[in-house]
Amino acid sequence: MDRVLIFVETKGDEVKKGSLELLSEARKLAQTGRFAIEAVVIGKVAPSLREAISLYAEKVVHIVDPLLDAYTPEGYSLALADYARTSQPRMILAGATQVGRDFLPRVAVLLECGIASDVTAANWLDNPVTLVRPVYGGKVLTEVVCEESPFLVLTRPNTFDITSPGEKTGEVVERHASLPAGSVKTRMLRREEKPKGKVDLTEADIIVTGGRGLKAPENFTILEDFAAVIGGTVGATRSVVDAKWRDQEDQVGKSGKTVSPKLYIAAGVSGAIHHIMGMDTSKVVLAINRDPNAIIFNYATYGIVGDLFEVVPAMTAELKKRLGRG
Amino acid sequence: MNIVVLAKHVPDAEALIEIKGTGEKLEIEQKFAVSLFDEFALEEALRIRERLGGRVKVITLGTGKAIEVLRTGIAMGVDEALLLDHEAFLGGDGYATALSLSRAIAKEACDLVLCGKQAVDDDRGEVGPMVAQFLGLPHVGSVVKVDIAEGRATAESLVEDGRVVVEVPLPAVLTTQKGLNEPRVPLVMGVMKAMKAQIPRATPEDLGLDPNQIGLAGSKVRIRRYLPPKKRSQVQFIAGDAPGAAAEAVRILIDVERVI
Repeated sequence: MDRVLIFVETKGDEVKKGSLELLSEARKLAQTGRFAIEAVVIGKVAPSLREAISLYAEKVVHIVDPLLDAYTPEGYSLALADYARTSQPRMILAGATQVGRDFLPRVAVLLECGIASDVTAANWLDNPVTLVRPVYGGKVLTEVVCEESPFLVLTRPNTFDITSPGEKTGEVVERHASLPAGSVKTRMLRREEKPKGKVDLTEADIIVTGGRGLKAPENFTILEDFAAVIGGTVGATRSVVDAKWRDQEDQVGKSGKTVSPKLYIAAGVSGAIHHIMGMDTSKVVLAINRDPNAIIFNYATYGIVGDLFEVVPAMTAELKKRLGRG
Repeated sequence: MNIVVLAKHVPDAEALIEIKGTGEKLEIEQKFAVSLFDEFALEEALRIRERLGGRVKVITLGTGKAIEVLRTGIAMGVDEALLLDHEAFLGGDGYATALSLSRAIAKEACDLVLCGKQAVDDDRGEVGPMVAQFLGLPHVGSVVKVDIAEGRATAESLVEDGRVVVEVPLPAVLTTQKGLNEPRVPLVMGVMKAMKAQIPRATPEDLGLDPNQIGLAGSKVRIRRYLPPKKRSQVQFIAGDAPGAAAEAVRILIDVERVI
Protein backbone atom coordinates (compact mmCIF):
# COMPACT_ATOMS: atom_id res chain seq x y z
CA MET A 1 0.00 0.00 0.00
CA ASP A 2 1.31 3.45 -0.94
CA ARG A 3 1.41 6.05 1.76
CA VAL A 4 0.23 9.53 0.82
CA LEU A 5 0.91 12.55 3.01
CA ILE A 6 -1.35 15.56 2.70
CA PHE A 7 -0.05 18.84 4.03
CA VAL A 8 -3.20 20.42 5.44
CA GLU A 9 -3.07 24.18 5.53
CA THR A 10 -5.19 25.77 8.23
CA LYS A 11 -6.19 29.30 8.97
CA GLY A 12 -7.71 30.09 12.36
CA ASP A 13 -10.26 27.38 13.00
CA GLU A 14 -10.66 26.36 9.38
CA VAL A 15 -8.99 24.11 6.83
CA LYS A 16 -8.07 26.01 3.65
CA LYS A 17 -10.17 25.07 0.65
CA GLY A 18 -7.33 23.55 -1.40
CA SER A 19 -6.50 21.23 1.48
CA LEU A 20 -10.11 20.25 2.01
CA GLU A 21 -10.34 19.29 -1.66
CA LEU A 22 -7.29 17.06 -1.29
CA LEU A 23 -8.65 15.47 1.87
CA SER A 24 -11.84 14.71 -0.07
CA GLU A 25 -9.82 13.16 -2.92
CA ALA A 26 -7.79 11.22 -0.37
CA ARG A 27 -10.87 9.66 1.18
CA LYS A 28 -11.81 8.32 -2.24
CA LEU A 29 -8.27 7.03 -2.73
CA ALA A 30 -8.27 5.30 0.64
CA GLN A 31 -11.44 3.47 -0.39
CA THR A 32 -9.60 1.82 -3.29
CA GLY A 33 -7.41 0.09 -0.73
CA ARG A 34 -4.26 1.11 -2.58
CA PHE A 35 -3.38 4.14 -0.50
CA ALA A 36 -2.93 4.89 3.19
CA ILE A 37 -3.59 8.54 3.93
CA GLU A 38 -1.90 10.67 6.54
CA ALA A 39 -2.76 14.32 7.05
CA VAL A 40 0.04 16.55 8.30
CA VAL A 41 -0.59 19.82 10.11
CA ILE A 42 2.20 22.10 11.25
CA GLY A 43 2.44 24.75 13.96
CA LYS A 44 -0.39 26.13 16.05
CA VAL A 45 -3.49 24.08 15.31
CA ALA A 46 -6.45 23.70 17.68
CA PRO A 47 -7.23 20.14 18.89
CA SER A 48 -10.81 20.48 17.61
CA LEU A 49 -9.49 21.18 14.13
CA ARG A 50 -7.16 18.16 14.23
CA GLU A 51 -10.20 16.10 15.18
CA ALA A 52 -12.18 17.50 12.22
CA ILE A 53 -9.33 16.66 9.84
CA SER A 54 -9.14 13.14 11.21
CA LEU A 55 -12.63 12.50 9.84
CA TYR A 56 -10.96 12.50 6.41
CA ALA A 57 -7.71 10.69 7.15
CA GLU A 58 -6.90 7.62 9.18
CA LYS A 59 -3.96 9.43 10.76
CA VAL A 60 -3.28 13.07 11.53
CA VAL A 61 0.30 14.02 12.34
CA HIS A 62 0.63 17.35 14.11
CA ILE A 63 4.20 18.66 13.97
CA VAL A 64 4.97 21.17 16.67
CA ASP A 65 7.98 23.24 17.69
CA PRO A 66 8.34 26.77 19.07
CA LEU A 67 10.01 27.64 15.74
CA LEU A 68 6.85 26.57 13.88
CA ASP A 69 4.40 28.87 15.68
CA ALA A 70 4.60 31.38 12.83
CA TYR A 71 4.87 30.22 9.23
CA THR A 72 8.33 30.41 7.68
CA PRO A 73 9.36 28.53 4.54
CA GLU A 74 12.53 27.30 6.28
CA GLY A 75 10.77 25.95 9.37
CA TYR A 76 7.88 24.30 7.55
CA SER A 77 10.12 22.69 4.94
CA LEU A 78 12.47 21.23 7.55
CA ALA A 79 9.54 19.91 9.58
CA LEU A 80 7.74 18.29 6.64
CA ALA A 81 10.90 16.87 5.04
CA ASP A 82 11.99 15.39 8.36
CA TYR A 83 8.67 13.65 8.84
CA ALA A 84 8.64 12.42 5.23
CA ARG A 85 12.02 10.75 5.77
CA THR A 86 10.45 8.71 8.57
CA SER A 87 7.14 8.01 6.91
CA GLN A 88 8.49 7.23 3.38
CA PRO A 89 5.42 8.27 1.37
CA ARG A 90 4.91 7.69 -2.33
CA MET A 91 3.44 11.19 -2.64
CA ILE A 92 3.10 14.39 -0.67
CA LEU A 93 0.11 16.49 -1.70
CA ALA A 94 -0.65 20.11 -0.89
CA GLY A 95 -2.75 22.94 -2.24
CA ALA A 96 -0.99 25.22 -4.72
CA THR A 97 -1.62 28.14 -2.41
CA GLN A 98 0.84 30.90 -1.67
CA VAL A 99 2.15 28.94 1.33
CA GLY A 100 2.25 25.62 -0.51
CA ARG A 101 4.10 27.06 -3.48
CA ASP A 102 6.44 28.91 -1.13
CA PHE A 103 7.83 26.07 0.95
CA LEU A 104 7.22 22.78 -0.93
CA PRO A 105 9.98 23.52 -3.49
CA ARG A 106 12.38 23.62 -0.52
CA VAL A 107 11.03 20.25 0.63
CA ALA A 108 11.77 18.86 -2.84
CA VAL A 109 15.41 19.93 -2.51
CA LEU A 110 15.68 18.55 1.03
CA LEU A 111 14.26 15.19 -0.11
CA GLU A 112 15.98 15.33 -3.52
CA CYS A 113 12.70 14.56 -5.20
CA GLY A 114 10.40 15.77 -7.95
CA ILE A 115 7.63 18.33 -7.64
CA ALA A 116 4.70 19.30 -9.85
CA SER A 117 3.35 22.75 -9.04
CA ASP A 118 -0.11 24.09 -9.86
CA VAL A 119 -1.67 20.85 -11.06
CA THR A 120 -5.19 21.12 -12.52
CA ALA A 121 -6.03 17.45 -13.10
CA ALA A 122 -4.77 14.16 -11.74
CA ASN A 123 -5.16 10.50 -12.45
CA TRP A 124 -4.12 9.07 -9.10
CA LEU A 125 -4.74 5.48 -10.12
CA ASP A 126 -2.28 5.48 -13.03
CA ASN A 127 1.07 3.97 -12.32
CA PRO A 128 2.98 6.23 -12.16
CA VAL A 129 0.38 8.87 -11.31
CA THR A 130 -0.20 11.22 -14.24
CA LEU A 131 -0.80 14.88 -13.62
CA VAL A 132 -1.78 17.76 -15.82
CA ARG A 133 -0.35 21.21 -15.35
CA PRO A 134 -0.81 24.27 -17.54
CA VAL A 135 2.19 26.09 -19.00
CA TYR A 136 2.54 29.30 -21.02
CA GLY A 137 -0.33 30.84 -19.07
CA GLY A 138 -2.63 27.94 -19.95
CA LYS A 139 -2.06 28.03 -23.72
CA VAL A 140 -0.76 24.47 -23.47
CA LEU A 141 -1.15 21.67 -20.93
CA THR A 142 1.59 19.25 -19.98
CA GLU A 143 1.07 15.72 -18.79
CA VAL A 144 3.79 14.99 -16.26
CA VAL A 145 4.97 11.94 -14.34
CA CYS A 146 7.55 11.19 -11.70
CA GLU A 147 8.73 7.62 -11.26
CA GLU A 148 10.73 8.08 -8.08
CA SER A 149 9.30 8.40 -4.58
CA PRO A 150 8.39 10.64 -3.00
CA PHE A 151 6.72 12.95 -5.47
CA LEU A 152 5.37 16.32 -4.36
CA VAL A 153 2.14 17.48 -5.97
CA LEU A 154 0.60 20.92 -5.53
CA THR A 155 -2.95 21.17 -6.83
CA ARG A 156 -4.65 24.41 -7.79
CA PRO A 157 -7.57 25.30 -5.47
CA ASN A 158 -11.01 24.68 -7.05
CA THR A 159 -9.68 21.62 -8.94
CA PHE A 160 -11.51 18.91 -6.97
CA ASP A 161 -14.93 18.67 -5.35
CA ILE A 162 -15.25 18.83 -1.60
CA THR A 163 -17.13 15.88 -0.14
CA SER A 164 -18.48 15.43 3.35
CA PRO A 165 -16.19 13.74 5.86
CA GLY A 166 -16.54 10.22 7.20
CA GLU A 167 -17.98 9.46 10.59
CA LYS A 168 -14.99 7.74 12.10
CA THR A 169 -12.23 9.88 13.54
CA GLY A 170 -8.66 8.84 12.85
CA GLU A 171 -5.67 8.69 15.12
CA VAL A 172 -4.00 12.02 16.03
CA VAL A 173 -0.28 11.95 16.73
CA GLU A 174 1.76 14.86 17.99
CA ARG A 175 5.35 15.02 16.83
CA HIS A 176 8.03 17.37 18.07
CA ALA A 177 10.14 18.66 15.22
CA SER A 178 13.13 19.54 17.42
CA LEU A 179 14.42 22.03 14.88
CA PRO A 180 18.04 22.96 15.61
CA ALA A 181 18.56 26.50 16.95
CA GLY A 182 19.44 28.83 14.10
CA SER A 183 17.74 26.69 11.45
CA VAL A 184 15.05 29.32 10.93
CA LYS A 185 16.54 32.66 10.01
CA THR A 186 13.28 34.27 8.87
CA ARG A 187 11.52 36.45 11.40
CA MET A 188 7.88 37.40 11.01
CA LEU A 189 7.43 41.08 11.84
CA ARG A 190 3.83 41.88 10.96
CA ARG A 191 0.77 40.35 9.45
CA GLU A 192 -2.12 42.43 8.18
CA GLU A 193 -5.26 40.49 7.47
CA LYS A 194 -7.98 41.39 5.06
CA PRO A 195 -11.40 42.09 6.54
CA LYS A 196 -13.14 38.87 7.53
CA GLY A 197 -15.49 37.37 5.04
CA LYS A 198 -13.58 38.44 1.95
CA VAL A 199 -12.85 35.26 0.04
CA ASP A 200 -9.61 35.30 -1.92
CA LEU A 201 -9.98 35.12 -5.70
CA THR A 202 -8.03 31.86 -5.86
CA GLU A 203 -10.55 30.15 -3.55
CA ALA A 204 -13.73 31.88 -4.68
CA ASP A 205 -16.58 29.85 -6.23
CA ILE A 206 -17.98 32.91 -7.94
CA ILE A 207 -15.98 35.81 -9.32
CA VAL A 208 -17.32 38.92 -10.99
CA THR A 209 -14.58 40.87 -12.72
CA GLY A 210 -14.72 44.40 -14.02
CA GLY A 211 -12.62 45.98 -16.73
CA ARG A 212 -12.31 49.35 -18.40
CA GLY A 213 -15.98 49.13 -19.31
CA LEU A 214 -16.77 50.12 -15.70
CA LYS A 215 -15.62 53.63 -16.71
CA ALA A 216 -14.75 54.84 -13.20
CA PRO A 217 -13.50 53.28 -9.94
CA GLU A 218 -16.69 54.16 -8.02
CA ASN A 219 -18.77 52.13 -10.50
CA PHE A 220 -17.31 48.93 -9.07
CA THR A 221 -20.04 49.22 -6.41
CA ILE A 222 -22.34 47.71 -9.07
CA LEU A 223 -20.17 44.58 -9.02
CA GLU A 224 -19.75 44.70 -5.22
CA ASP A 225 -23.55 44.74 -4.83
CA PHE A 226 -23.90 41.81 -7.20
CA ALA A 227 -21.14 39.83 -5.46
CA ALA A 228 -22.66 40.50 -2.03
CA VAL A 229 -25.95 38.82 -3.02
CA ILE A 230 -24.30 35.56 -4.11
CA GLY A 231 -21.19 35.51 -1.91
CA GLY A 232 -18.85 36.21 -4.80
CA THR A 233 -15.51 37.99 -4.96
CA VAL A 234 -14.83 40.99 -7.18
CA GLY A 235 -11.88 40.79 -9.56
CA ALA A 236 -10.25 43.33 -11.85
CA THR A 237 -8.33 43.43 -15.11
CA ARG A 238 -4.76 44.65 -15.43
CA SER A 239 -5.73 47.97 -16.96
CA VAL A 240 -7.99 48.98 -14.08
CA VAL A 241 -5.37 47.84 -11.54
CA ASP A 242 -2.67 49.82 -13.35
CA ALA A 243 -5.00 52.82 -13.34
CA LYS A 244 -5.22 52.34 -9.53
CA TRP A 245 -8.97 51.79 -9.58
CA ARG A 246 -8.52 48.49 -7.76
CA ASP A 247 -5.78 46.85 -5.66
CA GLN A 248 -3.13 44.57 -7.13
CA GLU A 249 -4.51 41.66 -5.09
CA ASP A 250 -7.77 41.89 -7.09
CA GLN A 251 -6.06 41.40 -10.45
CA VAL A 252 -6.92 38.33 -12.52
CA GLY A 253 -4.49 37.48 -15.31
CA LYS A 254 -0.93 36.70 -16.21
CA SER A 255 0.60 39.29 -13.89
CA GLY A 256 -2.12 38.76 -11.29
CA LYS A 257 -3.94 35.69 -10.04
CA THR A 258 -4.92 32.53 -11.86
CA VAL A 259 -8.41 31.50 -10.88
CA SER A 260 -10.73 28.54 -11.48
CA PRO A 261 -14.12 29.41 -10.03
CA LYS A 262 -17.38 27.62 -10.82
CA LEU A 263 -18.75 30.84 -12.25
CA TYR A 264 -16.73 33.69 -13.74
CA ILE A 265 -18.56 36.80 -14.82
CA ALA A 266 -16.63 39.29 -16.93
CA ALA A 267 -18.31 42.70 -17.10
CA GLY A 268 -16.86 45.32 -19.38
CA VAL A 269 -13.80 43.15 -20.01
CA SER A 270 -12.41 43.12 -23.55
CA GLY A 271 -10.56 39.79 -23.24
CA ALA A 272 -6.86 40.56 -23.69
CA ILE A 273 -4.72 37.41 -23.79
CA HIS A 274 -3.13 38.43 -20.46
CA HIS A 275 -6.54 38.31 -18.87
CA ILE A 276 -7.64 35.04 -20.50
CA MET A 277 -4.50 33.36 -19.09
CA GLY A 278 -5.79 34.01 -15.59
CA MET A 279 -9.38 32.76 -15.97
CA ASP A 280 -9.60 30.22 -18.78
CA THR A 281 -9.95 27.24 -16.41
CA SER A 282 -13.17 28.69 -14.93
CA LYS A 283 -16.07 26.27 -15.31
CA VAL A 284 -18.83 28.57 -16.53
CA VAL A 285 -18.02 31.99 -17.97
CA LEU A 286 -20.61 34.70 -18.56
CA ALA A 287 -19.39 37.74 -20.46
CA ILE A 288 -21.27 41.02 -20.56
CA ASN A 289 -20.02 43.55 -23.09
CA ARG A 290 -21.51 46.20 -25.36
CA ASP A 291 -19.27 45.16 -28.23
CA PRO A 292 -20.54 41.96 -29.91
CA ASN A 293 -17.04 41.43 -31.33
CA ALA A 294 -15.25 41.63 -27.97
CA ILE A 295 -12.66 38.84 -27.74
CA ILE A 296 -13.94 37.82 -24.31
CA PHE A 297 -16.94 36.18 -26.04
CA ASN A 298 -14.53 33.63 -27.61
CA TYR A 299 -13.75 32.42 -24.11
CA ALA A 300 -17.26 32.56 -22.66
CA THR A 301 -19.95 29.93 -22.17
CA TYR A 302 -22.69 32.56 -22.25
CA GLY A 303 -22.69 36.10 -23.54
CA ILE A 304 -24.90 39.12 -23.14
CA VAL A 305 -24.37 41.92 -25.62
CA GLY A 306 -25.52 44.91 -23.66
CA ASP A 307 -24.78 47.72 -21.27
CA LEU A 308 -23.35 46.34 -18.04
CA PHE A 309 -24.77 49.34 -16.17
CA GLU A 310 -28.24 47.99 -17.00
CA VAL A 311 -27.59 44.25 -17.11
CA VAL A 312 -25.65 43.79 -13.86
CA PRO A 313 -28.09 45.69 -11.59
CA ALA A 314 -30.96 43.82 -13.27
CA MET A 315 -29.22 40.51 -12.50
CA THR A 316 -28.67 41.63 -8.90
CA ALA A 317 -32.38 42.43 -8.54
CA GLU A 318 -33.39 39.12 -10.16
CA LEU A 319 -31.04 37.16 -7.88
CA LYS A 320 -32.44 38.85 -4.80
CA LYS A 321 -35.89 37.80 -5.96
CA ARG A 322 -34.85 34.22 -6.74
CA LEU A 323 -32.76 33.72 -3.63
CA GLY A 324 -35.23 35.54 -1.38
CA ARG A 325 -32.63 37.89 -0.03
CA GLY A 326 -34.08 41.20 -1.03
CA MET B 1 26.45 44.78 -1.83
CA ASN B 2 26.84 42.06 -4.46
CA ILE B 3 23.54 41.14 -6.04
CA VAL B 4 22.75 38.28 -8.41
CA VAL B 5 19.62 38.39 -10.56
CA LEU B 6 18.29 35.23 -12.18
CA ALA B 7 16.37 36.08 -15.32
CA LYS B 8 14.81 34.18 -18.17
CA HIS B 9 13.95 34.84 -21.75
CA VAL B 10 10.45 33.52 -22.49
CA PRO B 11 8.02 33.50 -25.41
CA ASP B 12 5.97 36.68 -25.54
CA ALA B 13 2.38 36.34 -24.29
CA GLU B 14 1.16 36.86 -27.86
CA ALA B 15 3.49 34.23 -29.39
CA LEU B 16 1.71 31.39 -31.17
CA ILE B 17 2.37 27.99 -29.67
CA GLU B 18 1.54 24.85 -31.61
CA ILE B 19 1.59 21.28 -30.43
CA LYS B 20 3.36 19.05 -32.93
CA GLY B 21 2.67 15.42 -33.82
CA THR B 22 1.01 13.48 -31.01
CA GLY B 23 2.08 15.95 -28.36
CA GLU B 24 5.80 15.23 -28.21
CA LYS B 25 6.94 18.75 -28.87
CA LEU B 26 5.96 22.38 -29.21
CA GLU B 27 6.58 24.81 -31.99
CA ILE B 28 6.86 28.30 -30.59
CA GLU B 29 6.75 31.49 -32.61
CA GLN B 30 10.07 33.31 -32.32
CA LYS B 31 8.81 36.29 -30.29
CA PHE B 32 10.52 36.65 -26.95
CA ALA B 33 10.58 38.93 -23.96
CA VAL B 34 12.12 39.03 -20.50
CA SER B 35 9.87 37.07 -18.17
CA LEU B 36 7.60 39.67 -16.62
CA PHE B 37 8.47 39.05 -12.96
CA ASP B 38 12.22 38.97 -13.69
CA GLU B 39 12.03 42.56 -14.89
CA PHE B 40 11.04 43.58 -11.38
CA ALA B 41 14.06 41.67 -10.05
CA LEU B 42 16.44 43.46 -12.44
CA GLU B 43 14.99 46.84 -11.59
CA GLU B 44 15.10 46.26 -7.84
CA ALA B 45 18.73 45.09 -8.00
CA LEU B 46 19.69 48.29 -9.80
CA ARG B 47 17.81 50.45 -7.30
CA ILE B 48 19.50 48.73 -4.37
CA ARG B 49 22.90 49.22 -6.02
CA GLU B 50 22.10 52.90 -6.61
CA ARG B 51 21.39 53.32 -2.89
CA LEU B 52 24.04 51.09 -1.37
CA GLY B 53 26.73 50.63 -4.04
CA GLY B 54 28.12 47.28 -5.14
CA ARG B 55 27.69 45.18 -8.23
CA VAL B 56 24.83 43.46 -10.00
CA LYS B 57 25.29 40.26 -11.97
CA VAL B 58 22.57 38.70 -14.11
CA ILE B 59 22.62 34.98 -14.80
CA THR B 60 20.54 32.93 -17.19
CA LEU B 61 20.52 29.39 -18.47
CA GLY B 62 19.95 28.52 -22.10
CA THR B 63 21.31 28.47 -25.61
CA GLY B 64 20.50 30.50 -28.71
CA LYS B 65 18.27 33.50 -28.00
CA ALA B 66 18.50 33.04 -24.22
CA ILE B 67 21.44 35.43 -24.19
CA GLU B 68 19.08 38.30 -25.07
CA VAL B 69 17.87 38.53 -21.48
CA LEU B 70 21.46 39.19 -20.41
CA ARG B 71 21.79 41.93 -23.01
CA THR B 72 18.57 43.49 -21.71
CA GLY B 73 20.05 43.39 -18.21
CA ILE B 74 23.25 45.07 -19.39
CA ALA B 75 21.23 47.67 -21.28
CA MET B 76 19.29 48.41 -18.07
CA GLY B 77 22.59 48.85 -16.24
CA VAL B 78 23.81 45.61 -14.65
CA ASP B 79 27.59 45.23 -14.28
CA GLU B 80 28.12 41.61 -15.25
CA ALA B 81 26.38 38.74 -16.96
CA LEU B 82 26.87 35.00 -17.06
CA LEU B 83 25.35 32.54 -19.52
CA LEU B 84 25.03 28.87 -18.64
CA ASP B 85 25.49 27.80 -22.19
CA HIS B 86 25.45 24.09 -22.91
CA GLU B 87 22.94 21.62 -24.32
CA ALA B 88 23.19 19.62 -21.09
CA PHE B 89 21.59 22.46 -19.08
CA LEU B 90 18.42 22.41 -21.21
CA GLY B 91 15.02 20.86 -20.67
CA GLY B 92 15.35 20.60 -16.91
CA ASP B 93 12.58 20.53 -14.33
CA GLY B 94 12.62 23.01 -11.47
CA TYR B 95 15.03 20.86 -9.48
CA ALA B 96 17.66 20.40 -12.20
CA THR B 97 17.44 24.06 -13.23
CA ALA B 98 17.76 25.33 -9.65
CA LEU B 99 20.74 23.04 -9.09
CA SER B 100 22.62 24.50 -12.07
CA LEU B 101 21.74 28.09 -11.17
CA SER B 102 22.68 27.67 -7.51
CA ARG B 103 26.13 26.38 -8.53
CA ALA B 104 26.57 29.37 -10.81
CA ILE B 105 25.61 31.76 -7.99
CA ALA B 106 27.96 30.03 -5.56
CA LYS B 107 31.00 30.72 -7.77
CA GLU B 108 31.35 34.13 -6.11
CA ALA B 109 30.20 35.48 -2.75
CA CYS B 110 26.97 37.42 -2.96
CA ASP B 111 24.67 39.18 -0.51
CA LEU B 112 21.37 38.98 -2.28
CA VAL B 113 19.74 36.88 -5.00
CA LEU B 114 16.68 38.25 -6.78
CA CYS B 115 14.46 36.46 -9.30
CA GLY B 116 10.89 36.66 -10.51
CA LYS B 117 8.30 34.70 -8.50
CA GLN B 118 7.86 32.46 -11.51
CA ALA B 119 8.90 32.34 -15.15
CA VAL B 120 5.86 32.94 -17.30
CA ASP B 121 6.57 30.02 -19.64
CA ASP B 122 6.82 26.97 -17.38
CA ASP B 123 4.85 28.75 -14.63
CA ARG B 124 6.43 26.53 -11.99
CA GLY B 125 7.57 29.13 -9.48
CA GLU B 126 9.97 26.58 -8.00
CA VAL B 127 13.41 27.89 -8.85
CA GLY B 128 13.61 30.79 -6.34
CA PRO B 129 12.82 28.77 -3.18
CA MET B 130 14.86 25.81 -4.50
CA VAL B 131 17.94 27.93 -5.17
CA ALA B 132 17.62 29.25 -1.60
CA GLN B 133 17.48 25.71 -0.23
CA PHE B 134 20.41 24.51 -2.37
CA LEU B 135 22.46 27.43 -1.03
CA GLY B 136 21.17 27.03 2.54
CA LEU B 137 19.70 30.54 2.52
CA PRO B 138 16.40 31.95 3.71
CA HIS B 139 14.02 33.26 1.09
CA VAL B 140 11.00 35.52 0.94
CA GLY B 141 8.51 34.87 -1.86
CA SER B 142 6.44 37.30 -3.98
CA VAL B 143 7.77 40.50 -2.48
CA VAL B 144 6.20 43.86 -3.26
CA LYS B 145 8.46 45.99 -1.04
CA VAL B 146 12.07 45.56 0.05
CA ASP B 147 14.27 47.48 2.42
CA ILE B 148 17.92 46.55 2.88
CA ALA B 149 19.78 47.81 5.94
CA GLU B 150 22.46 46.57 8.31
CA GLY B 151 22.85 43.18 6.71
CA ARG B 152 19.14 42.45 6.73
CA ALA B 153 16.30 42.54 4.26
CA THR B 154 12.84 43.55 5.37
CA ALA B 155 10.36 42.39 2.78
CA GLU B 156 6.63 42.69 2.35
CA SER B 157 4.66 40.02 0.47
CA LEU B 158 1.05 39.75 -0.56
CA VAL B 159 -0.60 36.57 0.68
CA GLU B 160 -4.12 35.26 0.17
CA ASP B 161 -5.52 36.78 3.33
CA GLY B 162 -3.57 40.02 3.46
CA ARG B 163 0.07 40.97 3.60
CA VAL B 164 3.05 39.92 5.70
CA VAL B 165 6.28 41.66 6.54
CA VAL B 166 9.27 39.47 7.37
CA GLU B 167 12.93 40.06 8.07
CA VAL B 168 15.77 37.84 6.89
CA PRO B 169 19.51 38.18 7.41
CA LEU B 170 21.63 38.45 4.26
CA PRO B 171 22.57 36.61 2.19
CA ALA B 172 19.02 35.76 1.16
CA VAL B 173 16.88 35.04 -1.89
CA LEU B 174 13.89 37.25 -2.71
CA THR B 175 11.37 36.45 -5.42
CA THR B 176 9.71 39.45 -6.99
CA GLN B 177 6.06 40.19 -7.67
CA LYS B 178 4.21 42.87 -9.61
CA GLY B 179 3.86 46.02 -7.52
CA LEU B 180 7.50 46.06 -6.38
CA ASN B 181 8.61 48.74 -8.85
CA GLU B 182 8.23 50.08 -12.37
CA PRO B 183 11.05 48.60 -14.47
CA ARG B 184 13.09 51.18 -16.37
CA VAL B 185 13.30 51.26 -20.14
CA PRO B 186 16.94 50.91 -21.27
CA LEU B 187 18.53 54.04 -22.75
CA VAL B 188 20.09 53.97 -26.22
CA MET B 189 23.57 54.18 -24.67
CA GLY B 190 22.84 51.11 -22.62
CA VAL B 191 21.52 49.20 -25.62
CA MET B 192 24.68 50.04 -27.57
CA LYS B 193 26.83 48.85 -24.70
CA ALA B 194 24.80 45.63 -24.42
CA MET B 195 25.17 44.87 -28.13
CA LYS B 196 28.96 45.06 -27.86
CA ALA B 197 29.31 43.29 -24.52
CA GLN B 198 31.33 40.07 -24.45
CA ILE B 199 29.32 37.75 -22.26
CA PRO B 200 31.15 35.09 -20.24
CA ARG B 201 29.83 31.55 -20.46
CA ALA B 202 29.93 28.59 -18.13
CA THR B 203 29.68 24.90 -18.95
CA PRO B 204 28.56 22.16 -16.55
CA GLU B 205 32.22 21.30 -16.07
CA ASP B 206 33.00 24.89 -15.02
CA LEU B 207 30.37 24.55 -12.29
CA GLY B 208 31.51 21.10 -11.18
CA LEU B 209 28.34 19.48 -12.47
CA ASP B 210 27.97 16.11 -14.15
CA PRO B 211 25.75 16.38 -17.28
CA ASN B 212 23.62 13.56 -15.84
CA GLN B 213 22.64 15.69 -12.83
CA ILE B 214 21.24 18.58 -14.82
CA GLY B 215 18.86 19.50 -17.63
CA LEU B 216 16.57 16.83 -18.99
CA ALA B 217 18.84 13.99 -17.83
CA GLY B 218 18.84 15.25 -14.23
CA SER B 219 15.10 15.92 -14.07
CA LYS B 220 12.94 14.03 -11.66
CA VAL B 221 9.67 15.13 -13.23
CA ARG B 222 9.16 14.33 -16.89
CA ILE B 223 6.80 15.83 -19.40
CA ARG B 224 5.16 12.89 -21.10
CA ARG B 225 3.25 14.90 -23.66
CA TYR B 226 1.73 18.25 -24.47
CA LEU B 227 -2.04 18.59 -24.68
CA PRO B 228 -4.27 21.38 -25.94
CA PRO B 229 -6.36 23.13 -23.28
CA LYS B 230 -10.04 22.22 -23.22
CA LYS B 231 -11.83 24.26 -25.81
CA ARG B 232 -15.06 25.87 -24.77
CA SER B 233 -17.90 25.30 -27.17
CA GLN B 234 -19.20 28.29 -29.11
CA VAL B 235 -20.58 31.03 -26.85
CA GLN B 236 -24.35 31.04 -26.42
CA PHE B 237 -25.67 34.55 -26.60
CA ILE B 238 -28.59 35.40 -24.34
CA ALA B 239 -30.90 37.70 -26.29
CA GLY B 240 -33.38 40.29 -25.13
CA ASP B 241 -33.37 43.72 -23.53
CA ALA B 242 -31.34 44.23 -20.35
CA PRO B 243 -33.98 43.08 -17.82
CA GLY B 244 -34.98 40.14 -20.03
CA ALA B 245 -31.43 38.96 -20.67
CA ALA B 246 -30.55 39.43 -16.99
CA ALA B 247 -33.50 37.31 -15.87
CA GLU B 248 -32.68 34.60 -18.41
CA ALA B 249 -28.99 34.61 -17.38
CA VAL B 250 -29.94 34.19 -13.73
CA ARG B 251 -32.30 31.34 -14.63
CA ILE B 252 -29.57 29.54 -16.61
CA LEU B 253 -26.94 29.99 -13.91
CA ILE B 254 -29.26 28.72 -11.15
CA ASP B 255 -31.37 26.07 -12.89
CA VAL B 256 -29.23 24.80 -15.78
CA GLU B 257 -25.62 25.25 -14.74
CA ARG B 258 -26.34 25.13 -10.99
CA VAL B 259 -23.39 27.36 -10.20
CA ILE B 260 -25.24 29.79 -7.94
